[in-house]
Amino acid sequence: MARHFLIAAAGMLAAAPAAFAQGTIKIAVVGPMAFVQGENHWAGAEMARDEINKAGGISVGGKKRNIELVRVDSNEIQSVPDATNAMERAITREKADFVIGGFRSEAVLAMQEVAMDNKKIFLGCGAADAKLGANVEKNYERYKYWFRVSPLNSPDLGRTLFAVLGSIAGQVRADMKKETPKVAILAEKVIWTEAIVKAAHDNLPKMKMEVVGLWQPSPTATDVTAELAAIDRAGADMVFTALSGPVGIVVARQMAERKMHAVAFGINVEAQKDGFWEATAGKGNYVATLDTYGEVEMTPLMIPFVRAFKERFHKSPTYNAATYDAINLLKTVIEKAGTTDANKLVPVLEQTQSVGTGGQLEFTKSHDPVWGIGKTTGIAVQWQNGRKVPFWPPQVKGMQKFGFPGQT
Amino acid sequence: MLQDILVTGLVNGSTYALLAIGFSLIFGVARIVNVAHTAFYMVAAYCLYTLLVQGGLGVPLSGALAVVSVTLLSVICYRLVIEPVRQHEAAVLIATIALALIFQETVLRIFGGSYLGVPSAIDGVAHLFGIAVPKQRLLILIVAGAMLAGTWVLLYRTRFGLAVRATANDLEVANLMGMNVNRVAMATVGISVALAAVAGVSVAPVFVVDPFMWLAPLVTVLSTVVIGGLGSIHGSVIGAMIIGYVEAITVFALPQGAFLKGAVALSMMVIVLLVRPEGLFGVAFEEER
Amino acid sequence: MSPAFLARRVWAQLRGEVLVLPSRTLAAAWVAAVLLLPLVLPDPYVLRVAAMTCIFAAFAASWDLLAGYTGQVNFGHALFFGTGAYSSALLSLRLGLSSWIAVGAGGLIATAIGLGVGYLCLRLRGSYLSFATLAFPLILIGILFAFPDFSGGELGLSGLQPLAASRVGNYYVAAGAMLILVFGIWAFADSRFGLILHAIRDDELAARAAGIDTTRYKMAAFGISAAVAGVAGALYAHFMRGAGPSTLETALSFQAVIWGVFGGLATIYGPVTAVFMLYPLTEWLGSFSTFGELRLLIFAVVVLLVLLFMPRGLTPWVRDRIETRCPRCKQQNPAWRKDCRICAAPLRLSGAALTQSPR
Repeated sequence: MARHFLIAAAGMLAAAPAAFAQGTIKIAVVGPMAFVQGENHWAGAEMARDEINKAGGISVGGKKRNIELVRVDSNEIQSVPDATNAMERAITREKADFVIGGFRSEAVLAMQEVAMDNKKIFLGCGAADAKLGANVEKNYERYKYWFRVSPLNSPDLGRTLFAVLGSIAGQVRADMKKETPKVAILAEKVIWTEAIVKAAHDNLPKMKMEVVGLWQPSPTATDVTAELAAIDRAGADMVFTALSGPVGIVVARQMAERKMHAVAFGINVEAQKDGFWEATAGKGNYVATLDTYGEVEMTPLMIPFVRAFKERFHKSPTYNAATYDAINLLKTVIEKAGTTDANKLVPVLEQTQSVGTGGQLEFTKSHDPVWGIGKTTGIAVQWQNGRKVPFWPPQVKGMQKFGFPGQT
Repeated sequence: MLQDILVTGLVNGSTYALLAIGFSLIFGVARIVNVAHTAFYMVAAYCLYTLLVQGGLGVPLSGALAVVSVTLLSVICYRLVIEPVRQHEAAVLIATIALALIFQETVLRIFGGSYLGVPSAIDGVAHLFGIAVPKQRLLILIVAGAMLAGTWVLLYRTRFGLAVRATANDLEVANLMGMNVNRVAMATVGISVALAAVAGVSVAPVFVVDPFMWLAPLVTVLSTVVIGGLGSIHGSVIGAMIIGYVEAITVFALPQGAFLKGAVALSMMVIVLLVRPEGLFGVAFEEER
Repeated sequence: MSPAFLARRVWAQLRGEVLVLPSRTLAAAWVAAVLLLPLVLPDPYVLRVAAMTCIFAAFAASWDLLAGYTGQVNFGHALFFGTGAYSSALLSLRLGLSSWIAVGAGGLIATAIGLGVGYLCLRLRGSYLSFATLAFPLILIGILFAFPDFSGGELGLSGLQPLAASRVGNYYVAAGAMLILVFGIWAFADSRFGLILHAIRDDELAARAAGIDTTRYKMAAFGISAAVAGVAGALYAHFMRGAGPSTLETALSFQAVIWGVFGGLATIYGPVTAVFMLYPLTEWLGSFSTFGELRLLIFAVVVLLVLLFMPRGLTPWVRDRIETRCPRCKQQNPAWRKDCRICAAPLRLSGAALTQSPR
């Protein structure tokens, strides 16, 4: 008797997930959950899920279905095979319908292969490498299920950089009282900086700025005394940075310790994080970098999103929290197409223009976000006395002024 | 540029020396390759962070407490983990690797993976020969010098030091002569880790603190100790200086090759190994039976 | 030669050679399990993890030949793995060679690197050798980063074609290669060649004095070990469809050391067992959200515990429990036997036997 009951109970428990699966849309959030990038992936996704489910869920051909999130720790920072195993598990074991997330480019390339093998839509929310998009153009039939929601790919990040530089160049010239300020390029020796470094060499002279040298530390360098000493001796007024690793913290700190009058601007991923100020022991003043989120009205959705995120999670969102946009994008295309079939959704995604929290989201032929003022550019922020202050694009509501060391 | 190289090499070299002395000591005396040496250095940095930034205790008190607690931790680890497997060299290697991983993961659990910063003990910049050197780095130089001198005094002017040197020279005969070899080994472990902890406490404000900060210094320490000669204290110091200068020269002479400085230092180590396998000052030990 | 006759022959061999010893029976059962896995669990995730396990098992076994048998404790074994991965990837992508040829060529290039490293390490002893070998993969990474157009920099190379069309096919490629490689190494190690390697490990001077050309044997050990690790790396690259700097990481080299010592040095089957136990276990732990983030910690603690209680490794400890060695003819016997299966000598001295005078 008890045995029959147990078997029946086991049967029901086994059937229950299947019953849920028919009812929910499963979205796997794949990221390094022990680190800040994965935390942001999950946080953005949770916010989107709660909002959408509270409003009734996603309407698929008339029937309303809730979103079910699957949290998958890829551990990609420490191990690439772990990441691909996690991806496979998310798709074949957890039976996820869609996958969003990713961070470390080498791992995302491998994870992309797994997703494409299984013909699952994979929305990238962390890796900037251009190769991910290039694959789509090279072999469309296989890679068409990949779309990059955030960030912009590296060459496009470079375009933003020069747009910002063009904007503040006038201010730089006035403040330095120089006709051609001197710029030192400090870029990590990695693939994603190559396009930017080359563009810098081409564009800076056109902006009436003199390039005084190129220094290329390793992303995990713990000491940049040599580079900074040489930059000082070259008389640089600005240090143009392309840094994504912890070297970004070291640069900021050591520049302040040496009381360098040059201002650091460029890409400094560590400077995008809340913890940057403390990591530099309060010395990261005037460090400026590209970023994604701020309390500014790049789109009508950005300020409410950033405020709600800060209230719920007590920290500012990083660009990985674009999982929020990814899920909303999925909702839009599923409701438009009336199905969750990946093959039918791909052409809809390609045609869709949606208002995201980071910018107006639209995709190019390589399934990267379209770059442009009014589309997606990102913003530029500067640390001023312990706060991250957005200053570009200047015409957007909420932007403040760029400052220089030596000013109050 | 020459002054830059001289000063930078000196300052960075002294940082490496501080780490290397302890490692060399423990290998020379106890024949233990302590892969967790830099992991203790990391734990000390985190202790300092907790006491200083979160606890608000002053720099001297936090530093002292951090060093003492890490030393105690090392003695406990030695008794529990290393002593039982001391006979099997390979097992000691694995045990210390596992220990280092345990420290890394525990710290990752408690503090998260983000980079933390520890405020300097002394702020400001001094000028040495026209080069701007942050005062914290000068402090490291002074501390390294003091530790070196202290270790030398301990080894060459005390009875305990005599026992340590005797054990390093010939374990079996020292045992026969009535020295408590196990006690000596344990004390050496404590001293060696204390040196690493002091390094962690002095260096933490200058580097970035994260759970993986023990990996890169480990490779540098190994290179240092190999170039200088395993078991030789002054060899380690000289090896550290050589690596510090090689790195400084690489970075100053090749601004675009700065990322290569790690590889260059390692290549130096390999070259020294090929030309003189026992290192510059190491003693070529007879095959021990 | 009727099939019935052959079947009876095979069964007789099986009963006479394999089933007589628990360790051999376990090995046979394991081979059967590896080959039959896709029929029992055709789940693609399980097969992926299993294929990875096979590749890493070959990698760990190759380390044991070098470190366990020859005493050259290599802290940078990932160099051979990564070389195999990168070279086969480059040959496949840049020269358009077929995947199979690329894998073989990758193994050959890894062998060449292995011989080179072996030559450089000839004069190094003990810990010095370990530290030098630690440096080599890091130097290679530095070189690869210096030529990003050639090597793909921090992203590595991608877009490789897998060796087989289906997941099951790829699994059998990995499993088959692993079985051939591991049994090949084991055959080498169990022969006179392995005996000489042992002699070199225990006392190189004495071996030289006995007339053994230790240089040749050490180089051979490096070469074979590198070849197997290189093929494992090449298989890995084609399975993952890419080869990146993660194939040269120090963490991977440390893994080989941990698997080797955990499983039991100088056994070959020890590290293989360790990989088959630990890799799926850590992967399984990783699938739980709470445990998952603790899995490296749990892994390290387990390794530490095994080390404390079984310092020679897991498989020797298990083997000592299930088998005993005959005092007279030195052959292995199941532990529950009273007398040797070959020479009939008593395996244990009973009370009566102890009081008897020797025969």
